Amino acid sequence: MKKQITKIVLAVFIAGAIFTSCKKDKVEENEEEVITTMIVKLTPAGGGAVLEYKFDDPDGPGANAPTIQEIVLAPSKTYSAEIILLDKSKMPVDTISNEVADEKEAHRFYYEVQAGANVTVSNLDADANGVPVGLTSTWTTGAVSTGKMQITLRHYPAIPPNKAVADLVNSTKSGTDISTVDIGGFTVKIQ
Amino acid sequence: MAQHCTLKLYGHVVDIDTKENLLSANISLKEINKQITTDEKGDFVFDGLCSGEYTLLITHVNCDNVEKKITLTNNIHLDILMPHSRKLMNEVTVDAKRGIQNTGFKKELSGKALEETKGQSLAEALSRINGVTMLQTGSTIAKPVIHGLHSNRILTINNGVRQEGQQWGNEHAPEIDPFIASKLVVIKGVDELRYGSDAIGGVILVEPRALRDKPGYAAELNTAYFTNNRQYVVSGVFEQQLKKQPAFRYRLQGTYKKGANATTPNYRLNNTGSEEKNFSITAGWKKERFNTELFYSQFATQVGIFNGSHIGNLTDLQQAIAAPKPAEVFLGQTTYKIQRPYQDVIHHLLKSKTIFYKGENKFSVLLAGQFNHRREFDVVRSSSNTKPQLDLSIYTLSQDITWEHPRKNNFSGMVGLALVQQDNSYSGRYFIPNYFSYSVGSYAIEKWSKQKWELQAGLRYDNKTINTTRLKFNGDTLNYDFNFSTFASSFNVLYKAGNNWKLNTNISLASRAPHVNELLSDGIHHGTATYEKGDITLQREQAVNINAGINFQNTHQTFTLDINVYSNNIRNFIYQQPQPDRPVLTIAGAFPLIEYKQTDAVLSGVDVAASYKITPRFEWNPKLSVLYAWNKSTKDWLIWMPANRVSNELVFNFQDKKAFANSYLSVEVANVMQQKRIPGETNGKQDYKLPPAGYTLVSLNASSTITLFKTPVTFSVGVRNALNTVYRDYLNSMRYFTDEMGRNVHVRLKVPLENLHHH
Repeated sequence: MKKQITKIVLAVFIAGAIFTSCKKDKVEENEEEVITTMIVKLTPAGGGAVLEYKFDDPDGPGANAPTIQEIVLAPSKTYSAEIILLDKSKMPVDTISNEVADEKEAHRFYYEVQAGANVTVSNLDADANGVPVGLTSTWTTGAVSTGKMQITLRHYPAIPPNKAVADLVNSTKSGTDISTVDIGGFTVKIQ
Repeated sequence: MAQHCTLKLYGHVVDIDTKENLLSANISLKEINKQITTDEKGDFVFDGLCSGEYTLLITHVNCDNVEKKITLTNNIHLDILMPHSRKLMNEVTVDAKRGIQNTGFKKELSGKALEETKGQSLAEALSRINGVTMLQTGSTIAKPVIHGLHSNRILTINNGVRQEGQQWGNEHAPEIDPFIASKLVVIKGVDELRYGSDAIGGVILVEPRALRDKPGYAAELNTAYFTNNRQYVVSGVFEQQLKKQPAFRYRLQGTYKKGANATTPNYRLNNTGSEEKNFSITAGWKKERFNTELFYSQFATQVGIFNGSHIGNLTDLQQAIAAPKPAEVFLGQTTYKIQRPYQDVIHHLLKSKTIFYKGENKFSVLLAGQFNHRREFDVVRSSSNTKPQLDLSIYTLSQDITWEHPRKNNFSGMVGLALVQQDNSYSGRYFIPNYFSYSVGSYAIEKWSKQKWELQAGLRYDNKTINTTRLKFNGDTLNYDFNFSTFASSFNVLYKAGNNWKLNTNISLASRAPHVNELLSDGIHHGTATYEKGDITLQREQAVNINAGINFQNTHQTFTLDINVYSNNIRNFIYQQPQPDRPVLTIAGAFPLIEYKQTDAVLSGVDVAASYKITPRFEWNPKLSVLYAWNKSTKDWLIWMPANRVSNELVFNFQDKKAFANSYLSVEVANVMQQKRIPGETNGKQDYKLPPAGYTLVSLNASSTITLFKTPVTFSVGVRNALNTVYRDYLNSMRYFTDEMGRNVHVRLKVPLENLHHH
């Protein structure tokens, strides 16, 4: 009987040992489709330096908090605006705005000018149904001022997305992918 | 004139549900006041009877009474089929000669009561037991909650093997097919120690029937259809014992389940479909002193998650919660199709169990391997993306050796050794790290019984090592190693005062090591729009659970009362504490921070259940369950604990008529009260929404076993939420967004087939 028990216990430990040696370590892939960076690229009409302002969270959610830059524009000027979204956690860096452009029916950028900033946002690009997307737009500045702008990216998860022109930024049909509200928004200085 | 008084009346008594030969069934002949009991084969013989009319009354402790009228003119042999009792009371202890039996705190669901849950998930079935509730995520994901505790605090034993998957997750339902079970049991106390030292909430046993014991084959087909989500279920089992080789038996079993989108009384929820494919094979070789069994099972499921609940940040969540109903775009589709977001889980189990005897010593060796692969497919930006966003694989090997010493001087007992090795890996989103863990445990249990008393005691010690690795994309390696020692012990006293009373007291000490999610969570939990953070300094939980039970049954067996009072004191109770003043800012906005913390808690309550036969055919079964869960450190109530509930069931049993047997009609009115015992806001807001109002649900059930072509076919029909009540349940995380399911009518059919080889 002792021999049998010994055999059993030995078999059991061997099984455990074999199992141990099969362990493999995997490298974490950062979460798919994470947006780490939003770049507002502004090209002045009629030539001039291209401006880029970032809302950036390079290490993703948690760890260090995101940072947001001030947008500085010249008065009485017109700019062509373009939003570029990046995922800097991937090697090479992934351009998420390309995916948004592929799925225009399910995305929408909202531009909310607040607190005395003399800028108007117009001419948003639209999806196949004529509903605004906002990857590109036209910004027209007025007199010198300081104010705020909130930029929000909303995503429609339903199939079909049913995005409509009248949808507000807080529509229950969509969820937030990017929001500058909680960090205080872009400070817009026209000087 | 002398009568012809040398007639014999033979008989064989069988439990129609468990198919067991009934030992100690009592058969009495009213007219001549003669009684007899059956032997281990279920047989009995009355000798020297006079010809005439007789009324037989057959009773057995596990079954409902059967009465039969016969006319005796010649020797007769009768086959008597006893229906297993529908009652959900503490089962009576089986005689001690059979070795160690479960006593102490034990609640069982079997026979007719289990039949009524066929087609439902494991958690839904278990919630029929008083004191057990559910933690839900929508209508398709449910986990059992025992006296307020769930997930890591409950051990689920699937056919003798401790189920290992990602059971720490609130949205991770147990990957077990309830169709493999002939019994679902909830136990606390000494017998818990066979499975672990960390069963602070209790142990759930999912037990299949023993393999076939007589030559021939048997099959059973179960099918059901539910109207609310047009769900159909088909489950079949086939088992055989070879006549030429009676030592060999096997069983094949499979289940297929598919449901479409579910509907509340006012709107249908998109993407709430599900599909499940399970099968299992059991093969056994049984000799008198040697018994070995091999078992393989596979459980595979795809579950849709209501897409109106997958929102962005905290502001979005508050928006959705404030809305009286979800946006129209998430409602109204009737399809079976499952889209993102959905869960895809597969669980494999391979088990080998061998029992052999050396003299009067019984040894058992159990070897098991499990593989659980859980993938979550979230809503993604690009529709061409086919990858999951969360991908967890966990392998578990376990080895259990036990030795039961021979029964001597009324003592019976066992000693066991348990080893577990686990390997967990993830890809995609981080939630818990890669880890390798191994544990060694040993336990000893002794039971002493004599006449009215039964004493049980047990001890267990486990040592667990967990080595975790997180290899981040930027090259950072985060390694954390842990080692935990946990002790558990239990002491149980059972006293049978006369034939009518049973008193049971139990005191158990259990200890639970923190799990990796509690230690190392670090990320956004999308389903709840929260940022969850673990704590590597967490200590093991230590619980002292005191349980007292009274069971009373009157002599005429028309009234039963079961009262269970408990108090579970848990030191270092791990829970999630919201930190509303420190939100986590991300590019998508602010997410509330929720941190794992420890506190001292006490969970006390009482479960009461009764059964009263107002007339022999008319039964009233009331139930009551109350829980008080208190956070001793903050001097406040604990969050997310089940509310008080009361239910009343009325059953009318019809008389057997021609081909119709075991016919009954029942109505149940269940009332769940609003949970008023919730934490206050002195430490900041603890929840997004107050608990929903209380609600009352009415359910109806009707069943009959009809003999068609010599086969007893059981047909049943019923309604859950017959009045189509609009309600939300506090322990369903979807309560922030939607109402619960509306009326659900079901139809069930059970067809057993048997080819008996009569002896």
